[in-house]
Order: sequence, then C-alpha cells, then structure tokens
Amino acid sequence: MTLHTASEGISFAREMEMATAKFYEELARRFPEHAETFGAYAAANKKYVSDVERAYYGVITDAIEGCYAFKGLEPDDYVIDVELGAEVDLAAAVAQAVANEEAMLRYYTDAAEQSSGTMHDVPRAFRAVARKRAQRISDLKAMAAR
Amino acid sequence: MAVLDEPIKEVRTLKNYIGGEWVESKGEIVDVVNPATMKTIAKVPISTKEEIDAAVQAGQAAFPDWRRTTPLARSRLLFNLKELLEENFEKASRIQTQEHGKCIDESRGESRRGIENVEVACGVPTLMQGYISEDVASGIDEWCMPTPLGVFGVIGPFNFPWMIPLWSVPYAIATGNTVVVKPSSEVPNSQSFLCELAEEAGFPPGVWNMVHGGRTVVNGMLDHPDIQGITFVGSTPVGRDVIYRRCGETGKRVIAQCGAKNFMTIMPDCAIDNTIAAMMTSFFGNTGQRCLAAANAVIVGEDDKFYEEFVAKVVEKASQIKIGYGLDESVQMGPLRDKAKKQNVLNYIDIGLQEGAELVLDGRDFTLQGDLPDDCFVGPSIFTNVRPGSRLGSEEIFGPVMSIMRAKDLDEAIRITNENPFGNGHSIFTQSGKAARYFQYNVVSGNVGINIGITAPVAFFPFSGMKDSFFGVLHTQGKEAIRFFTESKVVIQRWF
Repeated sequence: MTLHTASEGISFAREMEMATAKFYEELARRFPEHAETFGAYAAANKKYVSDVERAYYGVITDAIEGCYAFKGLEPDDYVIDVELGAEVDLAAAVAQAVANEEAMLRYYTDAAEQSSGTMHDVPRAFRAVARKRAQRISDLKAMAAR
Repeated sequence: MAVLDEPIKEVRTLKNYIGGEWVESKGEIVDVVNPATMKTIAKVPISTKEEIDAAVQAGQAAFPDWRRTTPLARSRLLFNLKELLEENFEKASRIQTQEHGKCIDESRGESRRGIENVEVACGVPTLMQGYISEDVASGIDEWCMPTPLGVFGVIGPFNFPWMIPLWSVPYAIATGNTVVVKPSSEVPNSQSFLCELAEEAGFPPGVWNMVHGGRTVVNGMLDHPDIQGITFVGSTPVGRDVIYRRCGETGKRVIAQCGAKNFMTIMPDCAIDNTIAAMMTSFFGNTGQRCLAAANAVIVGEDDKFYEEFVAKVVEKASQIKIGYGLDESVQMGPLRDKAKKQNVLNYIDIGLQEGAELVLDGRDFTLQGDLPDDCFVGPSIFTNVRPGSRLGSEEIFGPVMSIMRAKDLDEAIRITNENPFGNGHSIFTQSGKAARYFQYNVVSGNVGINIGITAPVAFFPFSGMKDSFFGVLHTQGKEAIRFFTESKVVIQRWF
C-alpha cells in the first residue's frame, strides 16, 4: 500500500526503527564482543523515533497538507529483514544490518524529499536521521572489514 | 498501515462540570454516534435551564477569588494544563476522530492548534499589562489597566470539537474571568476530556465549567444577566440572527464567527503540483466541514489548454483520495458528521446539476476503504462551469464539493469573490508577488491566503472574518482575545 499521509510515514519509520532495534539487541546478545556497539544502535533507534515524532507532533497543523504529505512512498522499496538465522556468523549478521540500514537510509531520504513541500521540521528530522544512518552504515562496514 | 485503537471503549453518559463537580443532568439523554462506524460511543444530556443557571452561578461565585489570583499564578495553572495536553495529545486526537470522523492527521493538527492557544495565554502576565502616562496635567498621572469582567459563555461547533473552545477559554481564564463552555452535543466527548484535564491541572472550582446541551443552554446563556459576553462559532443565521442580535439586546460582548464560502483564485503561474495538493486539503480536508475550507476555485486566464489540463489534474488527484475511517492512517477523507449533513451535500449536488453546472467528479459514487456503513460518507465532488451567482456557487455547503469557475483576469476573479456575501478565508495561488499583493489588498476577507489553502491564523494572531462570516468587533485568539475578555479601566490620580 502506497504511503501518502504524514501519519503513515511516521508510523512506517517507527516500525522500522523498533524492528531493527530488536534486531540489534539480539545481535548484542549473540556477539558480546560488540554488545556495546549494537546496544548503542538499539538505543539510538528509539531516540530517532522520538526525534521524528517530536518534529511531527510539534508542527502538524491544518495549514499544511498532512493527508497528502507524500506523493507516494512504496513500502516494498524499503524492505528490512530482521530475522536472524540460528547459526548466522558476525559477518553475515553485519551484512544483514547494512542492508537494513541502507533500506532505512533510502526511506528517510525519499520521505524527506517528498515532504519538503508541505512541512519543514519533519523532513529536517528525516534528513538528520538519514545522516546518522549513513554514518552507521560506514561504521558497520568497517566492523565487517576488521 | 494500521487502524489505530479507539480511545472510547465503553458507552457512558456524560456529565456536566459545574463548580468543580461532575454533575448528572436531569435533561433528556441522546446518543453520540461515530459517523464512520454508526456505533453509539456516548450519551449526552440536553441540559436544562436550571443547570445552565447553576453553572453561571458557579462561575460568578468563583470570579472574585479568581480575579484576585495573580496573573503569574493563573499562568502556572495554564502551564500545568499545557503539560497535560501534551501528555494526552494522542488520546485527545483519537477522541476527535472517533466522535467527529476526521482523519487522524487532521485531528492531531486540531490538537496542536488548541495547545498553541494555551501556550499563548500562558503569557498573560505581559499580555495583560496596561500603560501609564505621567503628568497628564500638572501633578496628575493617568493609567489604563485591563480588568476582567466576570463569567463568559463559550459555544462550540461540531466541526472542531477540541480546538475551537480553546480559541477563547485560555484567554478568558488567563485574564481572570470564569467560563461556561457548551460543547456541540454532536461531539461532546472532546470537551469532556478537556475538562477532566483542566480539573487535573488544578483550576479552582467554578473557574472552568461545562454544560452539555442545545438551545436551552444557549438561551440560558443569552438571557443570563451574569454572563458578560459570549463567543460563538457556527452558522451565519444563528450567529447573526440569534447570538449577535440577542447579545446586543442584553448588553453582552460578542464574538460570532460564522459561515463562509471561500474562493481560491488560481493564477496561470501557480506552482501546479503544490497548488493541487493544497486544493485537496482545502476543499476536501475535514470533509469540507470547515469555515476556512475553499469552496470555489476561480481559474484565471483565457488559456483553454492550461484550464483543461489543470482541471484534469485536479480531478485525477481528487478521484484518488482514500475515503474511510479516520483512525485508519491511510485514509485522507472521513465521513460527514451525520446523515443529515450528507443529505445536505447530496441536495447541493442535485442543485448544481439543475443549475446547469457540469459534474466532472461525482461524489455520490465512491469506494469506501474498509467494511463500514456508508450512512455518512460521500466522495469528493467537482463541478465545472459554475456560475458565481448560482446557489451552488454562492451558498455554504459545508461538504466536499468543489465548484470551478473561470475569470478572464485577476480583477474579475476579485470581483467575483467580493460579490459573495461571505468574507472568511479567500486565497490566491501564484508565483507573482505583484499579483499576490494586489489580491490581498483588494479582496474583502478576514483571513487571506497566499499559496495557503487553509487560511487559519496561528494562536498569536486574531482569527478574523468579514461580512457575513463575522459579527462583532474583536476576535478570538491572541491579543484581541485579551482585549475582548477585559475592560479598560482608566485611573486618573492626584495626591494633595
């Protein structure tokens, strides 16, 4: 189902963040040597949710086109996989994390671009999360390379 | 996407809030129906004259102490309320959707607008300051100080059950007055919940009262000698012929914000995609039940190609609007508030056809998202070739009906707009600053939008209105509300 309303866009972001937060919590449990990093990612995800929601709840108003915030975001373009195989090793888990992060980066980037005509604070929050995501992708790739 | 949880889970009979107590009414009890599901979600009393009298008495009794409470102390209670409103933001929003039908994004926007008024009223220690002149004559000083008046009545409409009383109440109580709120009996849950939060915030008993009901309560306010003034939002016939007139007869202050037929002028140089998105919100947002909703689109210019392509895009976009229950996050247009309002829209569609307008998008034919009764739903309708003086083109419909007209130039568009008896929220969409200024200077409208489809002033500006859209002098919100709820007392002082 194509996403158009601001509420849908925010909820979709929240679902991805919370699902990947659980994913990182599981990674932290399975790979204790990286528990601090993965735990921090999980905590940051929850903070991103509150950052985005605070922006949205702070600016939503009838003067802007909240029900038409996005021209059309296709959830299928931002599929994440948070199911970890029983025997998955660190390299594979990190690769899965990178793929998820890339999907989320695309989502935030597209959502920011599509909503910039109707809102300001929300796309700014999306872009801020996207920037942090890009850094995280870089860090995860560095971890995999070590 | 998810359908959000309904906050009202059991049917309860609402009570009045009088003198800090929740009081059962002796009046007739009627059902409050969710227009999307047609399920009864509450029962509301149609309160009696004795009950409105009791509320006014409670307000009058609380007034002397409340007036003596310092503005800073009053402001702190408003800050308490603001915190509670933020904590309960989502619940309040969902209640609005459940009882009114509007989409959740629209309800959240309404919640935010309401809170903004509380935030502005928190500034009452400075907003309420007077002014002084020394030595206006030899050894004589003179100052003017705003003083509260007593009890005010606040009469709310059905279309914004949460926000509209908040255009008045925070300012009234911030300035040391007390209030009696009468919510619309169609959507009484929002104000009941707001009163619960006001009680929790710690306002003293009698400062903030609420009485559910209908005409009896309104008449009780209008006739009561202790009511100092009334703010009202509703239709023009009631606002002008009942509220404004009788407040004049009984010497009450009055703000009567009334009906509208808003014109949107579309210039050929407009940013087309942004304009069309704004049109969807303006014409069809809140299912057209908004005094700032655009009703008529006046497309300027003699370029037939532009006109035809623009209209085709508008129709295409409107035909894609998702209609359903507002708690479904993907829904972009909810139901009308009740069956009678739907019937009214259907009647106007018939009238438009009889008048010779062309129905290019028929709202009677629509797809409903979800398994819902269609009693109150109607889709967006678009007419072209609408004559400005026709009933379709000049009367308030209060539903999702767009009437498209043409004007050869901006002057003609402004003339058509100004010939209409209403003057609430006209707008222009253009990339030309010159055209925009010419429009805002010449159009007779209390609120003017330039590339804004919903010309709703934020809380620190007055919610204006002209012609048949407004009766009174001062307006709700911001500094004008502070003036409305206070009398200027001038002191001239000399010491021997």
